[in-house]
This record gives sequence, structure tokens and C-alpha cells, in this order.
Amino acid sequence: MSDTAATAPKQLIEFDDKTVRQFMWASIIWGLVGMLVGLLIASQLNFFQLNFETSFLTFGRLRPLHTNAVIFAFVGNMMFAGIYYSTQRLCKARMASDMLSKVHFWGWQLIIVSAAVTLPLGLTRGQEYAELIWPINLAVAVIWVVFAVNFFWTLAKRNEPTLYVALWFYIATILTIAMLYIVNHLSIPTSWTHSYTVFAGVQNALVQWWYGHNAVAFFLTTPILGIMYYFLPKAVERPVYSYRLSIVHFWSLVFIYIWAGPHHLLHTALPEWLQYLGMFFSLMLWAPSWGGMLNGLLTLRGAWDKLRTDPVVKFFVAGVTFYGMSTFEGPLLSIRAVNYLSHYSDWTIGHVHSGAMGWNGFMAAGLFYWLAPRLYGTKLHSTSMANFHFWIGLIGILVYVLAMWTSGIMQGLMLNQTNADGTALVNPAFLETLNAIRPLMLFRIVGGLLYFSGMALMLVNLALTARSGKPVNETREVALLQRNEKDTMPVTETFLNDPVAYLFAGMLLVLGWLFLPPGSDIVALICAGLFTLIAIKKFREKGAAWGGWYDRLLANYLPFTILTFVAVALGGLIQIVPTVVVNRARNVEDRIQKIYTPLELAGRDIYVNEGCYNCHSQMIRTILPDVLRYGDYSRLGESIYDHPFQWGSKRTGPDLAREGGRYPDSWHFRHMQDPRSTSPGSNMPPYTWLYEDKFDQKTLPKKIAVLTRLGVPYPPMDAAEIRENAINQGIEIVKRLREENLYTEPDRKIVAVIAYLQKLGQFDTPQVEEKLLTTPVGIPFPMSPVNPDKARRARQSDTASVAP
Amino acid sequence: MDAPNSPDNQEPTLREHAYDGIQEYDQKLPNWWLWSWYITMIWFVLAWLIYYQLGVGRDDAQRMAEDLAKIEEVRQKELEKIDDAKLWAMSQDEAVVAKGKETFMTTCVACHAADLSAHLAGNKLPGLPLNDQEWKHGGNPTQVLNLVRKGAPDITKGMPAWEPQLGLDRVVDVVAFVMSHHKEGEPQTLAADSPLKAEAK
Repeated sequence: MSDTAATAPKQLIEFDDKTVRQFMWASIIWGLVGMLVGLLIASQLNFFQLNFETSFLTFGRLRPLHTNAVIFAFVGNMMFAGIYYSTQRLCKARMASDMLSKVHFWGWQLIIVSAAVTLPLGLTRGQEYAELIWPINLAVAVIWVVFAVNFFWTLAKRNEPTLYVALWFYIATILTIAMLYIVNHLSIPTSWTHSYTVFAGVQNALVQWWYGHNAVAFFLTTPILGIMYYFLPKAVERPVYSYRLSIVHFWSLVFIYIWAGPHHLLHTALPEWLQYLGMFFSLMLWAPSWGGMLNGLLTLRGAWDKLRTDPVVKFFVAGVTFYGMSTFEGPLLSIRAVNYLSHYSDWTIGHVHSGAMGWNGFMAAGLFYWLAPRLYGTKLHSTSMANFHFWIGLIGILVYVLAMWTSGIMQGLMLNQTNADGTALVNPAFLETLNAIRPLMLFRIVGGLLYFSGMALMLVNLALTARSGKPVNETREVALLQRNEKDTMPVTETFLNDPVAYLFAGMLLVLGWLFLPPGSDIVALICAGLFTLIAIKKFREKGAAWGGWYDRLLANYLPFTILTFVAVALGGLIQIVPTVVVNRARNVEDRIQKIYTPLELAGRDIYVNEGCYNCHSQMIRTILPDVLRYGDYSRLGESIYDHPFQWGSKRTGPDLAREGGRYPDSWHFRHMQDPRSTSPGSNMPPYTWLYEDKFDQKTLPKKIAVLTRLGVPYPPMDAAEIRENAINQGIEIVKRLREENLYTEPDRKIVAVIAYLQKLGQFDTPQVEEKLLTTPVGIPFPMSPVNPDKARRARQSDTASVAP
Repeated sequence: MDAPNSPDNQEPTLREHAYDGIQEYDQKLPNWWLWSWYITMIWFVLAWLIYYQLGVGRDDAQRMAEDLAKIEEVRQKELEKIDDAKLWAMSQDEAVVAKGKETFMTTCVACHAADLSAHLAGNKLPGLPLNDQEWKHGGNPTQVLNLVRKGAPDITKGMPAWEPQLGLDRVVDVVAFVMSHHKEGEPQTLAADSPLKAEAK
């Protein structure tokens, strides 16, 4: 290769470092904004007065702003800065199009601004990290494609024959986020600011957490791993620990991650086989995640002394260590027995913050402290200030995370504790458990404040650094690659080779084991075992040839990209397609929810807009304490018409799945006006504007038309009937309220919300017919797959009938 | 998994190519790491095999049904021991009444008020007064007990069922506390909207 380099034509290129600078500043500034909002909402949990009785400052609307700002604005811009900087150097080429880079940068900032306006206004899709309304969704998709085109075009123009591991991670990021984002945002608009997702209930839950979990994986993890692979060896000036480890952990990470989404839905109405798949794949994900940590940390071998002197290395090492910690904690929380305690509690909040603040935040800090002096041709303004940032940041994270661990475990134990014979709850009052963790919620604010101060110091430090130098765009002489030196692998060589063939055949056999009818499943498992042995034997004999194929693959960006896409697409296909095909209203066997009346639907949309799901779940889990506290566990059919589903992920307040009929209308009326009048000690904000604002009658007919199109069996009604129906139901509620001297009008938002809350938990029992559940159509298997849960039940009843 | 191209020497292979100055070693994978990964895979296979193919263990629905049946059994046994006389006796037992008061003050007070009048500072609260002799759902201790356990027949207008959340013992204590504000044999009237009146007709 060095021979070619010597004779090849050379060219002087200037890297586009301006875009990198822009993304860097955007990341820091949006990061500070996002963290400030985080501080505010953390304080609101302790001091409800900080909601200021103002609609756009309430917790339910600001919490999505915090999460979206930190994920998409802070980490998003940071990722783009790192990717733009390293990709150009790893490809020895300037970004393909300055125009696209500009569109990408400004488009992304515009999206952030529009999110910051719409979310406080209560315009939301009501799914976590997927709250933005549909016009913004379209903009995100377009800008992401712009980024993708710019990136892959640069790969195509590269002057480096093979792809370095950082680029593998960037490729996986770009593809997977596009796939996840588009599928999870499929919706039908009802107006310019509102839409209904095409998925309902359990399907929506599965797709949402396939997306939500993998937003963590492919937005917060893989791009940052790529950044680690470039910037960490740069900072410590040592070779990467192991190329082989890079290969194994990259492919296993991107393949396995996708399957783990259902671990957000353990003990819910999600079919059990999906829950178990989610749990087992999460456990199998632990080692691949740690592969990344090992490759980062062990790269420091021979350079550990830098940890003492260089703040960049400090941040990187701590960041990677937090990555290791949270990727150990993740699989732990995905074990059903642990999740029994941790789900809906602050433990999860602690977990994500050790990832977001420890891994993402510290990797960002390391990246920016390394980048800024180089981007401005100067030295870092103050190393001691950066060191100080490191220490208060670290203490901040530890205070925050320890507080949330303690809080989550304590509240979880209190909520789940039953008396000695397991017949009654020890702490029946939810508020008692909430007030027990109040001091810990205070500690969280302290931790957050420390962390925020560190970030603010970084802004100052880097601003002074920038002032002491001036913007520099690196120029470099590169040897131009000839056409035949890259991207020459034919399709046959990409797919028809031993490693790929063995992997696919093995996976197919494993799938056969999971989904084939009893008898054939065991055969498939035995075949899979034998096959693995053969593959190992082959690998021992011809390992070098396999390695050679992979080395050649790295010189071919498109085949590499296609294989990556196959790896990330499989898990989703196998989990989501059967759910979407089988778990539909017509197949529901035991209970099916009653359709919302127009007024209840209006109330539900208000519930979604106000972000009630940020604190209240609507999912009673299949665990005894949940059933004792909230009523019979939720069935799959009880939310089968919910667009979007509102199962929730955190209980700052009690579950509402069976709230309907639990209290009189007047209780809800008083409760939402002044939550402490009915629930002393509550931290819920008052919702005074619901008593003044009128609910939206105008779009109701359109909304019902869209829901009908999505399969909700509304009886035919014209627009006038719909509005009349809504107002008549409102009048009934107003009458009942008047009996208790509470006065309002039938067209107020509060009336709609009360109607909705009183509907929660109502269901019909459909006539059980013979349904062709076992043969979902359209799945190309030679034998028809079976639902593992049903096969298990059938097997059990067989053995039961045989037994005496 | 032995490294195919690593000889016995201690130095790991350093791959020749450098990307923007970054080189890579080609170390073999740490054994402890590989084995921890293999164990999670073996665990997946074994657990799935045992649960799905051998059918060992209860699924969620079976587990819930059995647990709830057990609770119901214990409840029925306890209920058999309770009658009006027993509840009146408990309403005189200071220890029981104190326990009932504790629950009342956290769970019931928001609707029925601390003095059981269902009025706070002149305002009517959502609940019914419990300190007078007028009853909507019957004033015998067992009738009150049933109401607290199961909730009002028309729950959109009234009392939720408290037995699941509080447990039978706490419900009994609360009833004892409420009945401690009454005397056995005192005159009772049914409210005008009492569903019991309709039944009597």
C-alpha cells in the first residue's frame, strides 16, 4: 500500500472544520439549556409551586423538553461535531458537500427551536422521545437524510481504502436511527399540529420501546463509541487495544441491541414470549457492551500516567467507565425479578442519568476540551478549570445517581411490601411512599446543580480558548485513491461466503427453535447446536480466510452498509411483524376496551397534551402489589384502540388504568384544581387553565374519521352529531358537579378530562370465537410459526390431562 | 477460541495500517469476557428450553390467579369470624380504634373530614357524614364493613372499594373507628336516596 501511496497523485485538501465548530457550540449551549430545564423539573417534583400554575411551565410539558433537548440537541450536536471532524480525517477527504453540511447544521437547529416552542405549548404525540408533532417529524427525517447523503457521499469519495472502526459505528447509527424514527413516527394527521400514530395499544407499546430503547442504543451509544474509537487513541497516543474485539463487539452490539426493547414492558400486557426475548437479549448484550468499554480502557495501557495530567483523558476514562457501569446496570434491570422492584421507579431515572451525564456528558466534555484548542489553533485556556469541571461533574453525577438508586429502591420496596401472609399491602397510601423519597429528590437537585455548574465552566473555558486563538481549518496533502483501490467487492462475495452463510443458517435454526410447533422446535435446536460445532470447526481451520474476507469487506462501504442494515433490521422484524399481524382487536379473546365517546376522546387528547403520562402509568402489571393497589391486572385488549398507548414508564403518581369510577366527578374536579385538597401532600401541579379553556370541538369529527380509518369501530356519525354527543355528555357531568355546588360549563376542558378519566378501565367481553391465531398470514416460513406462549399452554394442558 | 495468527510470544500483533495516525493491536479476546458472554447465551437456551419446551413454572396469568385465590381464601376465613357483635366490641377496644384512626386520617379524611362530619370549614366534602344517625347503605357494623370493603354499588357517585388496597384487617380497624362514634342500639334512619329503601319495597 505504501508503494501505491508514493506514486499516487496528491492533492492539498482543506477540511471543513467550520461545521465542526458550529456543532460544538450548539451542543454546549443547547446542553446547558436542556440541563437547566432538567433542574427546573427536578425542583418541581419537590416544590409544586414552581409549576407557577402556568400551562407551559408544568412538569408534564417540560419533561419532554428536557429529554428531547438533552438527547437530540446536546448529544445530537455533539455527535455531529465528532462525526464531521473524524470522518473527514478517517476518509482523508473534505465532507462531500458544504451545502449539505450547512443545511444539516441549520436545519437541525431549526428543529430544536421548533421543539422548544411546540412542547411547552402542549403540542405532542404523547410517546416518549417521540413527542414532536408530525411536521417536525418530517423535518427531522429530511435533515437526517441530508446528513446521511453527505456522510455516505464522503465515504464514496474517500482517499483511505478501508473503513476504520469509528466509521462502522457511524454507519450503524445513521441507518438504524432512520429506520427507527420513520417506523415509530408513522401517523395520520388530523390537523397541522396533531396526528394519531398508526399503531395502537400493545403494537404501539412494542414499536415505541423498540424505538425508545434503540434511540439509547443508536443515538446515545453507537455514535459515541465511534467517537471514542477516534478521539481516545488520539488523546492518549496509543494503538487501540484490539481490532478483533472491535469486530466482535460491533457486530454483536448492533445485532443484539435491537431485540432488547421489550425489557421496558416487563410484567405488562405485552405477550410473555416478547418479554422473555427482551430479557434474554438484554443479558446477552452485557458482554458486547463491555467489549466497547474494554477496548476503550485497555487502549490506555502504557499511557495511564496521562490520566493524572490531561483533563481530556480524565473525562474519557470516567465516561467509558460510566458506560461500563450503566451497561451492566441495564441488563440487571431487565431481569424480570429485578424489574418487579425497579420498574416505574427512580432507579430507572438514576440508570439513564448515569448514562446521559456519565457517558454522554463526559465523552462530550472530553471531546470538546480536545477539539477546541485544535479548532482555534491555540492551547486550552485553563487546564485547572477543566480539572475542576471534571471533579464537580463527577461528584454531581455520583450524588444524583446515588440519590436516585436509594429513592427508587426505597419506594419500590415500600410499594411492593406485603404483610407476612401476602394478603395486604403494608403501605397502601401511594403518597406515603412519595413523601418518603422527598429528601432524596432534594439531593438529586444538588447533584444536578453541580453537574450544570461544571458544564457552565466548560462554556467559559472554551469561549476564552476560542478568543485566545482564531478559527483554523486544517489543510493536508493526501494521496488520491484510484477507483480500483476501493469498493470493488461484488455482491456474491459480500453474501456468499462462509462467515455470512454460517451466521444466517444458524440464526434461521434458532428462530425455528423459538417459533416452530412442538417437536420441530427441538429438532431445530439440536440442528442449531450441531451447526455451531461445525462452524467452530470451520473457523479453526479457515479462520484466516474469514479474517481476510472481513478485511476486504472493509474496503467496500456499500456491502458493509447493507450487511449492517440486515443485522439491525432482523430483531425488529421478528418482534414487530407478528405483533402487528396477530395482536389486533379482532383477535382479542378476553377483554376489549369500550370505545371513547367524542367527549372522552377530547379529554384523552388533553391528557396526552398535558403530558400526564410522564407521571401516571396506565398499566397494572401482573404482580400482586400492583393488583392489590390498583385493581385487576391490565389485559392486552384493554388498550387495543389507544392511539397512542399511554402505559407510561414512570409512576410519580399512582397508576390510572382503572381510575374510571373510582371516585366521583367532584373528586376529580377538586383534585385537578388543587390536588392537595383531596390528596394532602401530593406534588401534582394544579391545572387551573383546564377550568377556563374550552376543549377543541372543531377537530373532533376529523379525529374520529382518522381513528375509524385506523380500525376503531366508531358508529357512523356526522359532524353535528359528534358535537352534540360531546356537549350532551358534558351537560350530564356539569349536572352531577352542580349537586355538590361545583360550577363549570359543559364545553370546558376539565369536563372532557373528567369524562376520559371516568372511562378508564371499562371493557367489554367479546364473544369468544374460534380464531385463526396460530396462522398469521404473510410470513414466509415453510411451516407456520406458533405463538410460544400458546404452545406452552397447550403442552401444559396435555400433560395435565395425561396425569392421573 | 485461539487466535489463529498469534504466535507464542508475549507481544500482541500490531496491525500495520494506520488511520490518521491511529494503529490497532490485534489482541485475542479476554477469556473471562468471552465466558461471561457464553454463559448468558447458554442461560438463554436453557431458560427458554425449561420454560417453553418443558413447560416448567407458572405463567403470569396462572401465577396471578393462584395468588389471588389464596388471598380470597384467607379473607373468607377471617370474615367468618366477624359479625355485628364482634365489631361493636372492637369499637370499644382502644388499641383497635387507634389503628383505625391512623388509616382514617390518611385515607378517608379527604372526603369524610377528621371529625367525620364530611364538612370542612363550612364546606361540604365529597363524602357522606359518618357522625350522624342517617345511613345511605345501612348502619349496622357489618353493612358498613361491606361498604368499605366493596365500595358503593354506584361507584360513580361514591365510595371506592378499599379492601384490595388497604387489606381486610385495616378495613376492619377503620370500621371499628367509625363505629366508636356510635352506640349499639342507637336509632338509625335510611337516607332518602338509599338503595336499601328500593330493595325493601
